[in-house]
Amino acid sequence: MEQQTFYYDNKIVRLFGGVTILWGVVGVLVGLLIALQLAFPAMNFNLPWLTFGRLRPLHTNAIIFAFVGNGIFTAAYYSMQRLLKTRMYSDLLGRIHFWGWQLIIVAAAITLPLGYTQGKEYAELSWPIDIAVALIWVVFGWNMLGTLAIRRVRHIYVAIWFYISTFITIAVLWIVNNLAIPTGWFESYSIYAGIQDALVQWWYGHNAVAFFLTTPMLGLMYYFLPKAANRPVYSYKLSIIHFWALIFLYIWAGPHHLLYQALPAWAQSMGVVFSVMLLMPSWGGMVNGLLTLRGAWDRVRDSAVLKFYVVGVTAYGMSTFEGPLLSLKSVNAISHFTDWTIAHVHIGAMGWNGFMIFGMIYWLWPRLFNTKMYSEKMANGHFWIGTLGMIIYAVPLYWAAITQALMWKEFTPEGFLAYPNFMETVTQILPMYYLRSFGGLLYLIGFLMFAFNTIMTARSGKLIAEEEASAPALEPMKKSRESGETPHRWVERRWVPFTIWAFIAIAIGSIIELVPGFMVKSNVPTIESVQPYTPLELAGRDIYVREGCYTCHSQQVRPFRSETERYGEYSKAGEFVYDHPYQWGSRRMGPDLAREGVVGGPMYKSNTWHYNHFLRPQDVIAESVMPAYPWFISDQIDLEAIPVKIRAMQTLGVPYAEGFDLIAVENLLKQGQSIADDLKSNGIEVEKDREILAVIAYMQRLGVDITKSHK
Amino acid sequence: MANDEQYNQETQDSKLMIDHDYDGIKELDNPPPPWLMYIFYASIVWSVFYVFYYHVYDGPSQIDEYNTEMAEAEADRPVNNFDEENIVLLTDDAAMAEGVKLYASKACDACHGASNIGADLTDNFWINGGDVASVFKIIKYGKAEKGMTPFQSQLTDEQINQIASYILIKLKGAPTTNTKGPEGEEI
Repeated sequence: MEQQTFYYDNKIVRLFGGVTILWGVVGVLVGLLIALQLAFPAMNFNLPWLTFGRLRPLHTNAIIFAFVGNGIFTAAYYSMQRLLKTRMYSDLLGRIHFWGWQLIIVAAAITLPLGYTQGKEYAELSWPIDIAVALIWVVFGWNMLGTLAIRRVRHIYVAIWFYISTFITIAVLWIVNNLAIPTGWFESYSIYAGIQDALVQWWYGHNAVAFFLTTPMLGLMYYFLPKAANRPVYSYKLSIIHFWALIFLYIWAGPHHLLYQALPAWAQSMGVVFSVMLLMPSWGGMVNGLLTLRGAWDRVRDSAVLKFYVVGVTAYGMSTFEGPLLSLKSVNAISHFTDWTIAHVHIGAMGWNGFMIFGMIYWLWPRLFNTKMYSEKMANGHFWIGTLGMIIYAVPLYWAAITQALMWKEFTPEGFLAYPNFMETVTQILPMYYLRSFGGLLYLIGFLMFAFNTIMTARSGKLIAEEEASAPALEPMKKSRESGETPHRWVERRWVPFTIWAFIAIAIGSIIELVPGFMVKSNVPTIESVQPYTPLELAGRDIYVREGCYTCHSQQVRPFRSETERYGEYSKAGEFVYDHPYQWGSRRMGPDLAREGVVGGPMYKSNTWHYNHFLRPQDVIAESVMPAYPWFISDQIDLEAIPVKIRAMQTLGVPYAEGFDLIAVENLLKQGQSIADDLKSNGIEVEKDREILAVIAYMQRLGVDITKSHK
Repeated sequence: MANDEQYNQETQDSKLMIDHDYDGIKELDNPPPPWLMYIFYASIVWSVFYVFYYHVYDGPSQIDEYNTEMAEAEADRPVNNFDEENIVLLTDDAAMAEGVKLYASKACDACHGASNIGADLTDNFWINGGDVASVFKIIKYGKAEKGMTPFQSQLTDEQINQIASYILIKLKGAPTTNTKGPEGEEI
């Protein structure tokens, strides 16, 4: 066999690794700021672009797509070249991928604080950026599959199975969930409404966790952990079983984000059972990782890299145990809408994603720069302060979650809610928020030590830009299965069928869960009195989305006595058919708003109340942690966009009368005037085209329709 | 090291998969841990039972659960002996002390104070009547279109009586922060 010499491209690895550190620091810093905002509302600074509702999406998107995203690209570009014994397929595609992705991040960092958002969690980026992400993602996939095509290793290693599943699944999820009709350069309406939007969104949201934060991380683990430990992978058979079980089962589990909500029972049950079945396939990854360290435990004591991996993999095991637990309806009834979810994802993001990436880069940097780590001691320090930070972050939030959930649900012997004032249940947990912010600060300090250590390591050495390697060329081999070859071993040497099988595995659950939601009418029982929003209410709804109100307020009353007493009638699927996008939310920092407008209901407030409350919440509710929105009063409603929005809604099937777009502005101003008149009668002067009127109109519409009989 | 020797012995036997070498990473031929597989199978069996119970044998839906919960709460509700037709203005110190406490804990001042959202309760002008029975009814049943919360789901009738009495005896005539001016009839 002819021995061929070739060069690994390490420059691209350094590029991705470097920005992983940079964006990671930014993402954690924004996280610390928003943690402080929840504890001290003055930290919102009365500036639109610094309010919690706009920065929280920036934090989540930065951690997921900028920090973890670049981290997994670092892992993929380094490990694929070596596992396939070839340079990447194309240097140019690699550069387009790198610079394209960084431009996307910059665009996100500008547009999200400006309030350009789709209003769906982790899918906030506006439509032009979504298109850019899809294109760059295809570039990544093209480069990856191209590399598989030119490989010098016959069989594809388990790490790359996970990379392949990542590429195809994220492509599918991203495109389907982000389908929208543009109404401006950065504005759009989701093509889905209500429960369909919720179902698609959590199919996406849950599997962004699965295929962006989990499968590529497992790929990373399968290369970098045995490398650092210098031990063989514990079980090849377990790799096969947990890989296929994981990708097949994961895709179904999304509805567990919507338990006890206005979702058909069958979809909720799918969310429950597939989450429970997912436990052991998830643990397969943890077990294979930890057992690979057999015989290397003595070195864990001295090696920061191995320590990061041990805690990272253990954090993965903890959060994948917690996931199925939170998917049981009885547990979810308590945990949902509380900080439990927040604590849960931070064990995953800080522990699993963060620590695996730290371990990888600490191991990688001395090798890329042909030197020793600048300070092993500082890396160990980072490990301890990071672990401590994670614990001090998460434990208070678990405490806060259970405290608040129990307060929400407690009744007095007279049969009244023990804490009818929502604010009491927030004030009670604020001390936990101080602690969690401190935990976040410790984690940030560790992160800065990591950044410093890696920069100094790079400076003490010199990048091996082109790393020489050699391997024999791959001899042609017949496509059909050889005798004695197991079926899986057979498919491992053929990347096209492998990719197709992986696609089929994720397509089955996707189709079975999503398609009936669109095709079967009985899944969304219609309610005749539910009518489209007026133009003013629609404008208000868009402002609600823009400000990220859903990051703190839900619009979903679950069928529990504690919720119907506090908020009013439980939510019905048919109420949301004109909600593009749905705004059910996932956390109640403030009360649920689904029945905000029901006159005579427990949530109803007068126009005057809303006006004062938006202007300065603390004037109305002294301990409120809500940011003030003074710009609602100074800013005018974007009237030019109204006809465009009405037409977009008509395209989506919202039954506005033909030609309504032409009279929509007139209609809007008329309704605005009536609210302005009411405010005036209470001594408040406001012009009829101000945003505040639109937001108030939307608040007063929320949940009202089912209380009316059909006209 | 002892560990390494043990490891080498282990990897020299048939457990190491000979043709598996990926950039130096080798794989062992260990079976998956049996406990892991058993729990996995058990979770599949549990899932089948779960779906059968709720969707084939029609186990309780979340709305059934809700109706049960509400019926139980209704059955547990204490009997109310308060005579709503003959409300008496309370004047004793104990009632005043309770009244002021409840007035604060329900944040009445948030609307009936400087924010001008609700009516001024310190002057002699009353929109919905200034006797104890009228004030009681407004607190208990609210005034929906004005945004006045119906407190019947938060306070007992005795407590509402205490607040109403406190308003009429102590609050009426006290210094005000409300700047709306008189509303309603002077009583």
